[in-house]
Amino acid sequence: MNRLSLNGTIANSRIAAARVGIGGPVGSGKTALVERLIPALLKRGVDLAVITNDLVTAEDAERIRRSGLIDPARVSAVEAGACPHTVIREDPTLNIEAADELERRFPGVELILLESGGDNLASTFSRDLTDFWMFVIDVAGGDDIPRKRGPGVIRADLLVINKVDLAPHVGVDLARMHQEALGVRDNRPVLLTDCRRGEGIDTVVDLLEREVLFRT
Amino acid sequence: MLFDRLQALALLQLGDSAYPAGGFAFSWGIEGLAADGMLANRNELDRVIADQLTRRWATMDRILLRKAFRARNCKAIAEVDRLTEAGTPSAEMRDGSRRAGRALLGVWVKLEGPLSIAYRDQVSADARLGHLPIAQAVVGRDAGFSLDAAELVSGWTLVTGLVSAAVRLGIIGHIEAQQSQAAARGLLGELLADTPGADALPASFTPFIDIAVSRGPLRHVRMFTT
Ligand SMILES: Nc1nc2c(ncn2[C@@H]2O[C@H](COP(=O)(O)OP(=O)(O)OP(=O)(O)O)[C@@H](O)[C@H]2O)c(=O)[nH]1
Ligand SMILES: [Mg+2]
Repeated sequence: MNRLSLNGTIANSRIAAARVGIGGPVGSGKTALVERLIPALLKRGVDLAVITNDLVTAEDAERIRRSGLIDPARVSAVEAGACPHTVIREDPTLNIEAADELERRFPGVELILLESGGDNLASTFSRDLTDFWMFVIDVAGGDDIPRKRGPGVIRADLLVINKVDLAPHVGVDLARMHQEALGVRDNRPVLLTDCRRGEGIDTVVDLLEREVLFRT
Repeated sequence: MLFDRLQALALLQLGDSAYPAGGFAFSWGIEGLAADGMLANRNELDRVIADQLTRRWATMDRILLRKAFRARNCKAIAEVDRLTEAGTPSAEMRDGSRRAGRALLGVWVKLEGPLSIAYRDQVSADARLGHLPIAQAVVGRDAGFSLDAAELVSGWTLVTGLVSAAVRLGIIGHIEAQQSQAAARGLLGELLADTPGADALPASFTPFIDIAVSRGPLRHVRMFTT
């Protein structure tokens, strides 16, 4: 892993931050999820930083910096050169440098959230970049999305189905969508959220605490 | 045999536009010039590439790379790095060059290049170090390249970076990209055939490109680091 130095000891003789990727199609609610995760994680005493891979403007980075939820200096923006896939998978070096830099500037940081630019169902994160990654889809994108078995949906450590509040308005049978998602993922985690009202966020944080931060 | 096969294969690997050192996120002014209406077709792109090669790369980056390639130790390399910092007036160019250089160095630290590991320690301790031509020299030494080979990869990755940025910005198509690269190949070959003097001082004069890069942070729409 990227966080081990060559002789097998932990780099700089301290525990490096866990790196968590958040990917998913345009507008599925990645930034909204980050905005919900920040206060929830801070409340549990997790030392945090954020990286965004905005595609065309620095809008998401600015939105998080101005949110008042986190010290703006802890939010880094990495330009993706119009290649949202490349910057998280084939060539994640700029994101790795940005994460290393955040660790240097904030030595106690435990968790770095990395929001990918909006992409398509085939996007996945390099294991050299993240320790854990989640893929965010939403009910309004259609309940057939899990059935389409995109690598993002199938391979993510966690699939989040967001905007569950919209299910009745877009004619989606939420229970069936959830079941199908679990089915294509061999029952690996699928969680439901409503980022507008903040529902389901605690379950996501529980999972991160358990699987990523190893706090019981 | 006309050429050393293993050296040629190493050049193909390190000179590949997909080499994972973040190159795809840098347009070195192409995005800005296009946004300002100064770059809209292949002819204009070829002029920008020629400018970049003759007035910046050959007279500045290449000279610095040569100095760093010959530097005796990390301390001497850092001196050339500081010269790069001091000789690059545009803050955005400096920042871009450091980000690109640090990304390249980071890859070679993980590949266990000994000089890269040693030099990275210096770079981590000084925010002004880590410029691209310096990192290219350090990495070239770890890769076992000759100075010639290191220069060639440096010049060529600049060309492919510029051309592929232009493709992604929709300025040229994929066939035109090949035509631009072929033209640039000829020019780069000519430049490389001339050996700069040992006492050559780094200098660049690309005002339009520097201004386009410097205006980057003011632009609302921006997909590239530079
Ligand atoms: N009703 C509803 N709207 C939501 C929910 N989550 C996000 N939204 C809205 O969906 C829109 C897109 O949300 P973002 O968080 O910007 O989505 P994103 O995935 O970050 O988008 P990109 O970064 O552009 O790919 C915004 O208008 C949000 O307010 C939700 O749970 N319910
Ligand atoms: Mg977003």
